Amino acid sequence: MSLPEIFAVELRKALGQEHVISEPEQLRVYECDGLTGHRAVPELVVLPGSTEDVQLVLRACHRERVPFVARGAGTGLSGGATPVAGGVVVSLARMNRILEIDLESQRVVVEPGVTNLEVTRAVAAEGFFYAPDPSSQQVCTIGGNVAENSGGAHCLKYGFTTHHVTGLTLVLPDGDLVELGGKALDPDGPDLLGVVVGSEGTLGIVTRVTLRVVRAPQVVRTLLAGFHTMDAAGAAVSGIVAEGILPSAIEMMDRLTIEAAERAVSPGYPEGAGAVLLVELDGVVEQVEDDVAEVERICEGSGAFELRTAANETDRALLWKGRKSAFAAMGRIATDYYVQDGVVPRTRLPEVLRRIEELSASHGLRVGNVFHAGDGNLHPLVLYDAAAGETDAARELAEAILDACLDAGGSLTGEHGVGMDKACSMPRMFSERDLHTFERLRRAFDPTGICNPGKVIPTPRLCGEVPGPYRIHALERIGVAERL
Amino acid sequence: MPSVSSIEEASGLLAAAHAEGGSFRIGDDLTTDGLSRILEHETGDLTCTVEAGVRLSALSAVLGKTSQRLSLDPPGDPTIGALLAENVSGPLRHRFGAPRDLVLGVTLVLADGTVANSGGKVVKNVAGYDLARLVCGSRGRLALIVRASFRLHPLPKATRTLVVETDDASTVVAQLLRSQLQSSALDVLHPGRVAVFFEGSERAVESQVASAQDLVGGSEANLDVWDESRRRQAGAGGRVCFEPGRLREMLSQLSEGIVRPAAGLAYTRGEQPSGSEPQSNEAGDRVRELVRRIERELDPHGVLTG
Repeated sequence: MSLPEIFAVELRKALGQEHVISEPEQLRVYECDGLTGHRAVPELVVLPGSTEDVQLVLRACHRERVPFVARGAGTGLSGGATPVAGGVVVSLARMNRILEIDLESQRVVVEPGVTNLEVTRAVAAEGFFYAPDPSSQQVCTIGGNVAENSGGAHCLKYGFTTHHVTGLTLVLPDGDLVELGGKALDPDGPDLLGVVVGSEGTLGIVTRVTLRVVRAPQVVRTLLAGFHTMDAAGAAVSGIVAEGILPSAIEMMDRLTIEAAERAVSPGYPEGAGAVLLVELDGVVEQVEDDVAEVERICEGSGAFELRTAANETDRALLWKGRKSAFAAMGRIATDYYVQDGVVPRTRLPEVLRRIEELSASHGLRVGNVFHAGDGNLHPLVLYDAAAGETDAARELAEAILDACLDAGGSLTGEHGVGMDKACSMPRMFSERDLHTFERLRRAFDPTGICNPGKVIPTPRLCGEVPGPYRIHALERIGVAERL
Repeated sequence: MPSVSSIEEASGLLAAAHAEGGSFRIGDDLTTDGLSRILEHETGDLTCTVEAGVRLSALSAVLGKTSQRLSLDPPGDPTIGALLAENVSGPLRHRFGAPRDLVLGVTLVLADGTVANSGGKVVKNVAGYDLARLVCGSRGRLALIVRASFRLHPLPKATRTLVVETDDASTVVAQLLRSQLQSSALDVLHPGRVAVFFEGSERAVESQVASAQDLVGGSEANLDVWDESRRRQAGAGGRVCFEPGRLREMLSQLSEGIVRPAAGLAYTRGEQPSGSEPQSNEAGDRVRELVRRIERELDPHGVLTG
């Protein structure tokens, strides 16, 4: 498909020459996001500078029926920002201003191109922070966070992006504008904010976001516990939860990941550990002290052979260093790796981890496990060597791990999104009726189907006519035999 | 008045109405009172899945046996379906959010009888569109809610309430919100009082109350003040959203009311003070037009009259 020349001319005139890219060399920069296996070269990339610019671009796209894809920093891991060949990429990179800091309301209003960490930086001096902290927070943008409903290590206590967005300006796919919410919570009517957050850029383009920022806690304490086995570390997690303690983060790493981290950044984790648990607690002093004592007791009771605590920023950073570098560290022990993102109910973690071990053995590929243990969000890293022809086996293994998560009553994705990567897997978690209902909702926003097409919902063109086997939905399984 | 007792029955009733031009007002001439099973309570996962006709009190009784709760305390004793459809919350809104913040997944019956699931029963999940949040606040216009999963919290080991008598509630609130105290509820019982609720370990709530008293004065009270807050909320004539930072301006325009300052919510006698959100009728109209587009897709024949 080739766009009418008049289309580019019109956009150049409106946005300025330099904000419309059509040189093949430059277009290639936009051909993929963090999921580099999916690529497509767009026909045009536009860089609007304002809500009005975005409206103008989308009106033109709507009139000419040209598909468009919004793009932030391009750090997404599910291909949600993969361009449509022949379509337009709308980069929000220029819309990167913090518009208002209103700490009396505990709100910050930003454009979508502002990075996650910039929000915290803007309010830190006043003792506030922005809670969702995806590991790409230095570069990923709030617009992308809104699209993906991003989480992070600390969402166990503080919640996800959807719990921190109070207002959005949304340009609908036909160019019309709608303001959802504001600085107050719980506006009247259906929760459209909740629908748009996490919709992966398929319902329109967000051009302004009102965020809730949180008062920094009195104290933060970080504990690191070394265990001989994953089962023992898992038992400690269950013990902490059963005690009624709500840490801000509980992270777990297995032997392989610890080994990789040691090689990469030498965090000095307990020698010989088969599992390392990182637990962070924050809040008022007395509560944190009580909880730390309990967590220490529980870890020891579960077989921790070494415990360290950090009370200042430097020591905390050291404990976190290995965890934060875990993905990148895999490069030290494998030429290629694929990050899977699945969720299981926390209590099913031990059995699912054992299943992953079996699958790893039967596929003859190593799997490193580093994950948010508190909320059952697994990030198995499937290690392979593409040059040795292991790519297909790695893909199969990653799929089998997802099946294990779904069989345990979990989800296809906890934070990376469906995007292109998992659109064809959606029928394994949702029935045709569920998916058709999703389509109906999408059509209400985008009746002509030009807004990030091919993402989230499987299409025959993308996935072939035969969808994967449907597994009974978690809600359906519960004492119910009523698929209608 | 049909009260459905199975999802098949609900689906059949709605499909027939869809085909034959019938209509229903959910909660009025179609209820889920017969869908009253608690299907699952995973204590170790702090989640539960229940049918929509379960009353909040019945659920709380079951969860309480393992020292857990659904952290929602709206006035009255709504069914889970009504709780979601109204997205109604109580004083605990301050810390734990509204139903939309704690719901993990739903099963819906659409107006044409389609049974659709969204979300799941795990606390972290971004697969598919969030229909569970979509129906929060939809007041029975978008679909019949038949089943829902929720995130739970442990019951606190100790609780304390502080009440501050004041003619300058907005200053008291600002001081508390600026502090690093972590309260579970913070209400203005306008005019004249601010109530704060602390939950946690014995030592922690004691020190929080002491710190709060140092900051804003006041004296300890029992839980009655929260009952009063819920009662007055239920009896209010209107509900207003406002910018939390404009609390002073808001209070000055209200004769009385229950105000949740951090959320920017006020339950009033029906006044519409200036400065409330949405800030223009036009903005409100655009949102309503988008909602109508969703209604037309999900319920093209207008079966659900809300």
